Amino acid sequence: MNLTGMRHHAETDEVDAVVIGTGAGGAPILARLAQAGLSVVALEAGPNWEPTDHTPDEIDAASIYWTSERLSGGTDPEAFGGNNSGIGVGGSTLHWGAFCPRPDERDLRLASDQGAGVDWPITHAELIPYIEEVERFIQVSGPADYPWDPARRYPLPPVARNAPADLMAAGCDALGIRTTDSPAAIVSRDVQQPHFGVRAGAINSGATHQGDRVASKASMDVTYLPLAVAHGAEIRAGAMVHGLERDATGRITAVVYRKDGVDHRQRTRNVFLCGGGVESARLLLNLDLANSSGQVGRNYMAHPAAQVWGRFDRPTRMWRGWPSSLISEDFVRPKEKDFAGGYLIQSLGVLPVTLATSMARSGIRGERLMDLLEHYDSFAGIGVNGECLPAESNRLTLVDEVDEVGLKRARIDFSFSDNERALDAHSVTTMKAIWEAAGAKDVFVLNRTAHAEGTCRMGDDRDSAVVDPNGRSYDVDNLYICDNSVFPSSLIANPALTIMALALRTADRFLGR
Amino acid sequence: MARPTLFLLHALGLSARSWDGVIDAIGDGLDVVALDLPGYGDNAASPLLTVRETAEWVAARIREREPDEWLIAGHSMGGKIATIVTAWAERAEHGLIPPTGLVLVDASTPGPEPMAEERRALMEQWWASGTISAEDAAAYIHANTAGPIPGAVRETAIADVQRSSRVAWLEWLRRGSLEDWSDEVGVLRTPTAIVVGAEDPDLGAVNQERLNLPHVPNAVVHEVDGAGHDSLLQYPGEVARFVTGLAARVEGTAALPPAFARLIASDRVSARTRRVMMRRLDGPGDAPRVFSPAQRALLTVLVARVLPQRGTDLDIAGRIDAEFAAGHGDGWRFAELPPDAEAWRQGLDTLAEQVPDFAALTGAAQEAVLDRVWDGGIGSDADGRLTGSQMRLWLKDVQAEAVRMWLSHPAAQAWIRYDGFADGGDGPRKQGFSTTHAGEWEPWQRDWRTGKELQA
Repeated sequence: MNLTGMRHHAETDEVDAVVIGTGAGGAPILARLAQAGLSVVALEAGPNWEPTDHTPDEIDAASIYWTSERLSGGTDPEAFGGNNSGIGVGGSTLHWGAFCPRPDERDLRLASDQGAGVDWPITHAELIPYIEEVERFIQVSGPADYPWDPARRYPLPPVARNAPADLMAAGCDALGIRTTDSPAAIVSRDVQQPHFGVRAGAINSGATHQGDRVASKASMDVTYLPLAVAHGAEIRAGAMVHGLERDATGRITAVVYRKDGVDHRQRTRNVFLCGGGVESARLLLNLDLANSSGQVGRNYMAHPAAQVWGRFDRPTRMWRGWPSSLISEDFVRPKEKDFAGGYLIQSLGVLPVTLATSMARSGIRGERLMDLLEHYDSFAGIGVNGECLPAESNRLTLVDEVDEVGLKRARIDFSFSDNERALDAHSVTTMKAIWEAAGAKDVFVLNRTAHAEGTCRMGDDRDSAVVDPNGRSYDVDNLYICDNSVFPSSLIANPALTIMALALRTADRFLGR
Repeated sequence: MARPTLFLLHALGLSARSWDGVIDAIGDGLDVVALDLPGYGDNAASPLLTVRETAEWVAARIREREPDEWLIAGHSMGGKIATIVTAWAERAEHGLIPPTGLVLVDASTPGPEPMAEERRALMEQWWASGTISAEDAAAYIHANTAGPIPGAVRETAIADVQRSSRVAWLEWLRRGSLEDWSDEVGVLRTPTAIVVGAEDPDLGAVNQERLNLPHVPNAVVHEVDGAGHDSLLQYPGEVARFVTGLAARVEGTAALPPAFARLIASDRVSARTRRVMMRRLDGPGDAPRVFSPAQRALLTVLVARVLPQRGTDLDIAGRIDAEFAAGHGDGWRFAELPPDAEAWRQGLDTLAEQVPDFAALTGAAQEAVLDRVWDGGIGSDADGRLTGSQMRLWLKDVQAEAVRMWLSHPAAQAWIRYDGFADGGDGPRKQGFSTTHAGEWEPWQRDWRTGKELQA
């Protein structure tokens, strides 16, 4: 993004706040605090890009993924890198899918509603105004009539459906499952974005996923970060935080980061840690900080996110169109089920390297793999995002290997509980039925998980939570955390929209609003 | 199948006609296009002057013919132009698709051309009056031929020199021949023949090997006995023999389907994307890096089983070796495995130890072994080996990495008929896709596997 003319702060100045990370958590906070007149500096581990720098080449797009190694264990080890972890000014929103459902009211009080998991210490009613503010600001496209929430309105009409969406709609129609155009954090037509300029209407390319060259997608570098910079915030790219200095009372006094091989130290009155579900917890564990509850790193949650693929008679060329252009919320609480929670269904188009490596990891190889790939241009997919219950044993810990700045690497152990297994099986049955009704051939299932949540959970009780309901650390009173690590339960809505809303709320609470 | 097109670029002061003898000897196997470069022959009045302008002009002549398969040959000054155009085309720049062959005839060099200063001064002096005399033109031709040439050929050459543009001539002497293009040319992968007159004083075999060969390391150097700098005037049949020899050797070896290569070269693709895609046409080379020769040989067999390529024949194992050597990671690994390269070495060693005859097994038997690995049934508790459960995880990595490496190659992308990378070039408005539904396509789209038009 354009950083010319940006205000600069001296490292010796004590700024009001340092925000660590510029993704869905950090960017809205940075903007909100800057708008309130505070002196704020964001530290981003990755480089700064212009939208036009991105590439549709799947391999070369690794430049926007967090590729410093993590170790993945448990019975359902999660893939990182391109699966869920971004780097660069804008964080993971550079590569997010822009699938933008709202969190469901029932999911926020999962324990009360389902007798499993935990309730959020925040009500849906309190969150929704923030959700709506985010949707307006980042300019979400969506249907005029949302079947599961008739009062809902989106700022822009939906983006074009693609072949997988058409096929999923046909299959669902045959089974009596309701569908509609997905809410998309992608502008369906040219719009003006304050302090950025024109965001071009969607160009119907699946590669939008991995860095949108026309800024149709609401990544933070074309939305909240220009807003922040316009109000005096400073963004330092290539700044990898590896230390937090504290005074005798335990309050943080400075943030230590490495940029171009040199350590720097920024004095600050407050810190907002927004590094994402892995990096926020990894930093705190490395510094042995904010963990009197012993909960940092625990309750790691990854959404069950199985996909079902099929081949169709006519070429789908599913790299065209926004990949997730159809949604069904009919399974937020399935009628007949033996698990807590539910799942969202979406249509899928996935680029070839990503899809083929998932196929290969799932065990498809040899002539069968080639037989399927021979018809890649006739594939279409359906996928889900389902509830994951928090479990203390699903945990991020540190190993002895260190990274480029000397921090110990993270090991994440994740295993499905019976609940995730049952939900996963239910979702696969549903998706297979949809594809069968749509006339799919060569149907195959890819088991996978998505997102990284819960490692610095928010709660009312300092013994079982890392941050309070305002996002403030129970242990360090000038440390706030805001990203998917604070999620007490997983929600089935993809997390970015909720993170942005939480970020605005966290900033407001900090500002005493 | 259309004949390959051969583009011919002449030397300083000559014209397309200098290739007449060569063209006669080439015969019907090639569609030959001899060009009058800007400033020469029928094109003497062209305002274009510089090496870049000339190379861009040549690129335009190639583009407008849309050859599916093409080669280029350049003599002396034309050799430098041909080399530059080939470098661009290998990178699908300037709208070009890669040529299948390059012939350098007594060619000028990508870097500054060696030429004695007094000779340069004399050649400038010839034009002091604004035109070059027949005597000086004859002296020029005489100096470039080590023996007699037919009178008609000589007369034509002299006439060409005299109808050259003075400005173009001086431009080449003062600037073009001295410009350093060596970085922009880099190292070419195009199969190349270097033809050199044994008696060529400045651009003979020694200087060709010193100044041209580093840019075309796979080139075959042919010396033409008794020939000077203008070997093609003296011995056109010999030169033609080397040209047709190369053309025969490379026929049908284009790395990409032509229509697909043209798509990559088109303005639907960004410069960054084009660059990385075309770079992947370079092979990994044979040098072992993180794997021993035995490990790499076994990996080759293993990869052939998990990924029996269709439509391509790439050295996937070599590419994986190179990738590990470059240290590129994907951001995670299975916690039960050692760091990537070490895990792969141990996995291969474990397979070699547990199934020593794996490479010799039938495909079905190899498949059965992989089934057992997948079920955790093959492994070792010894140091430096992977256990059964580790082997299972490692096989997942092998399968994923093999297909990732394969599909990153443009030829594999063509084979699966993928064109999602062509969603817009570097213009202010990206083209994207205007059709998104099944069975719809856009006028530029093809069946990239065959190059044919799409059918409803």
